[in-house]
Amino acid sequence: MTGTETIMTRPVLEARGIVRRFGGITAVDRVDVTVGEGEIVGLIGPNGSGKSTMVNLLTGELVPDEGTIRFAGKDITGVAPYRRARLGIARSFQMLRMFSSMSVEDNMLTATHIHMKRGLLSSLLNLPSARAEEDEVRAKARDLLAMFELEKFARRPVTALSIGQQRMVELARGVLSEPRLFLLDEPAAGLAPPNVDRLIALIKRMRDEFGISILLIEHDMRVVRELCDRVVVLDSGELIAEGHPETVVNDPAVIEAYIGKGWSRRAQA
Amino acid sequence: MDLFLQYLANGIVVGSSYVLVAVGLTLIFGILGIVNFARGEFYMLGGFAGIGLATVLGLPLIVSLLGVVAFAALLGFLAEQILNRQVKDKDPTNSIVSSFGLAVVLQNAALLVIGPQPMLLRTDLSMVPVEIGPVYLPLQRALIPVAMIVLVGALHLLLRHTWVGMSLRAMAQQPTVARMCGIRVSRVAIVTFMTGAVFAGVAGFLMSSVFMVHPLIGNMIVLKAFTVVILGGMGSVTGAAAAGLMLGLVESMTSAYLGNGLRDIVGFLMVVIVLLAWPQGIFGRNLERS
Amino acid sequence: MKHLALFAAAIALLALAPMVLGGHGLSVMTLTLTNLVLAVGLNLVAGYCGQFSFAQAAFFGIGAYTTAIMSRDLGTGVWINLPAGIIIAGLFGLVLGVPALRVKGHFLAIVTIAFQTVVYLTLVQWTDFTGGQNGILVPGVGETSILGIIRFNVQSLESYYWLTLALAALAIIVAWRLVHSRLGREWIAVRDDETLAQAVGVNTTTTKLSAFVASAAFAGAAGALNAYTMRTAAPDDFTIFISSIILAIMILGGKGTFLGPIVGAFILTIIPESLGEFSRYKMLFFGVLLILTITFLPGGIMQLVRNARTRRA
Repeated sequence: MTGTETIMTRPVLEARGIVRRFGGITAVDRVDVTVGEGEIVGLIGPNGSGKSTMVNLLTGELVPDEGTIRFAGKDITGVAPYRRARLGIARSFQMLRMFSSMSVEDNMLTATHIHMKRGLLSSLLNLPSARAEEDEVRAKARDLLAMFELEKFARRPVTALSIGQQRMVELARGVLSEPRLFLLDEPAAGLAPPNVDRLIALIKRMRDEFGISILLIEHDMRVVRELCDRVVVLDSGELIAEGHPETVVNDPAVIEAYIGKGWSRRAQA
Repeated sequence: MDLFLQYLANGIVVGSSYVLVAVGLTLIFGILGIVNFARGEFYMLGGFAGIGLATVLGLPLIVSLLGVVAFAALLGFLAEQILNRQVKDKDPTNSIVSSFGLAVVLQNAALLVIGPQPMLLRTDLSMVPVEIGPVYLPLQRALIPVAMIVLVGALHLLLRHTWVGMSLRAMAQQPTVARMCGIRVSRVAIVTFMTGAVFAGVAGFLMSSVFMVHPLIGNMIVLKAFTVVILGGMGSVTGAAAAGLMLGLVESMTSAYLGNGLRDIVGFLMVVIVLLAWPQGIFGRNLERS
Repeated sequence: MKHLALFAAAIALLALAPMVLGGHGLSVMTLTLTNLVLAVGLNLVAGYCGQFSFAQAAFFGIGAYTTAIMSRDLGTGVWINLPAGIIIAGLFGLVLGVPALRVKGHFLAIVTIAFQTVVYLTLVQWTDFTGGQNGILVPGVGETSILGIIRFNVQSLESYYWLTLALAALAIIVAWRLVHSRLGREWIAVRDDETLAQAVGVNTTTTKLSAFVASAAFAGAAGALNAYTMRTAAPDDFTIFISSIILAIMILGGKGTFLGPIVGAFILTIIPESLGEFSRYKMLFFGVLLILTITFLPGGIMQLVRNARTRRA
């Protein structure tokens, strides 16, 4: 972080000095990523820049060779993915993932198990207290689906929905789990423009109404520019730029990374 | 010391047969991503076919061997039709179940047709002794490691230097691209299955002079094959060769110094230890085909 | 509520079986109900949780030998041996579950087959403890009571049948509750997409282990009771062929459905046992059926039922 850009908020996520190698290749080379409370931070870069590896390191599927990751002040560098979810990190997947044999509602419910207070035994015995808690969560899920305009699909099998609708369910599922940080991995991929608008509005609501901080990995620059407070740019595993979207987009190093040397000189002229 | 060398030699003989069976398994898994649990039955049927040709019909060893090869190739072809055709694009667990069903069918068909009596292969060659220092082996047994080296060596050369071999390797790495380059996937599947079956059948035939053949031996053989593949790394022919010999040696030593009853279990113990200690498999490969 | 009424009616109907069936018929029904418990148990780990296990016969055997050995060495009665069989089989379910965690697909299948084989070999070779190939004789249940209050005598074929029916009814109730609880939903989540399950906070390790334990416990219960019914525990009743029969039942009925294993148990026990002189071909029949079902009807009979329903709707 440079002196001219001080973050006034407490960091929710702090990844420092992350290095990850695969055999002879360094996929991520000393990258720092920080997400402050209530921030929407973008992570961008051309294909092969190390974005996906970085995401997997943050969610716990991969463990960094060097560096630390802190979440709300707690060191989570080696912590397993399911524990990170329980600590309050939600994620969406680049290739949409759903529990394909379940209904929309059940898909969402599975994400709330981490918050269920009634013990497993009472669930097994179908005690009134367990049933009440489940009904309560189902009601919450349906309310949330209403926000995404999908409430009438609650009981339908999730595979009956279109890809765009399933992406919305994925977001709703994440929000229902009451995370502090939501990692969105190319949420706009494959969406038609009107749906992209809805997506942008929904992500803003997630931050404003639910207080969720967001790390957004995206290729769609319109989404990045409209949503992100700050953008981090990777290229070939290295962090090459960081700052406000407008600044970053015009940074010659960034242009060069995406398009090639010739263009950056033309942009400067 | 002399006894030790004898046990060593025995271990190499048995290990060679494991290599032959495991190589077919690792090949099919590596190239086609499916597994044939009936592999043990190809071994068993190869053994019976060989005994039938050599002792019942009295054909010379080489002719019997060729007969077994032809028979096994046919089995492989049929297995590919049953197992690979239908189940290919659906749930991967389906191929597990259907090949398991095939194993049950073959075992019970053998029980009904051939009967439960175990049989041993005895030909002229079993009387010819080969003595290497203090080690004594009937020629028939000494041929097994030789056959293994020849077959595995030939396979290795085939994979590296011929067009067929390169298509197989292409399939293993990038099936879609391979298809686009004009490699006939269905043909590759058939060839792979037949090769695997031939290896298993030959192993069964050769080993029928060492251990008795009966319809149910396939169960243990397929387990040993998997043990070897897990230890040696899925998809790796050299790994299978190394691990197969190692398993043969370990079993031979266990049987000699610790007791015969533990022989079969020691392989499983190794697998459990490997799985618990190196979740990625002993050579650092993922045990699940992604 | 509708489910409960139908269930009670079915149990009541089955309880009347001794009035219409003779000795052979009743044995077949007892075997059917035993297979039902085994298949319902297998369905938990293989159908709902997606972890295919070929070791169900091993746990069946562990339950049976628990009864046999405790009866022989400790002289304990049925009300101790039965729970003991369940618990010990469940513990062995953990023993299988732990290495099974690391592997998927074919290698998982192999690990379960290896477990099955090791158990079988141990039963055969540890002669001092298990009686070797001949097994152990088990006395009948005889005079017994529940809490000293309700007394009955379990000696006749009918009484063993009713005891098995009671176990089957209990198994169905427990399975129903498991499948419809949070744990059941986690099993399905792990089956559908393990990575996603982890990402939403499910501890997939404990989830998978619980499925193995539950499945083994069911088999252990069936085994512990079956030892009394058969008056013996012998290794050849617990081979991998038996595992494949249970697997065939689950698949033909419909894996991952609740009724599937139940329907499958009835069909695949009654028909083969009625083959009479063709009973030699029983295993061959099972093998062929496995191949045909998984190739052409992977969803089993319940898939046919579902297709018929959606077509009518």
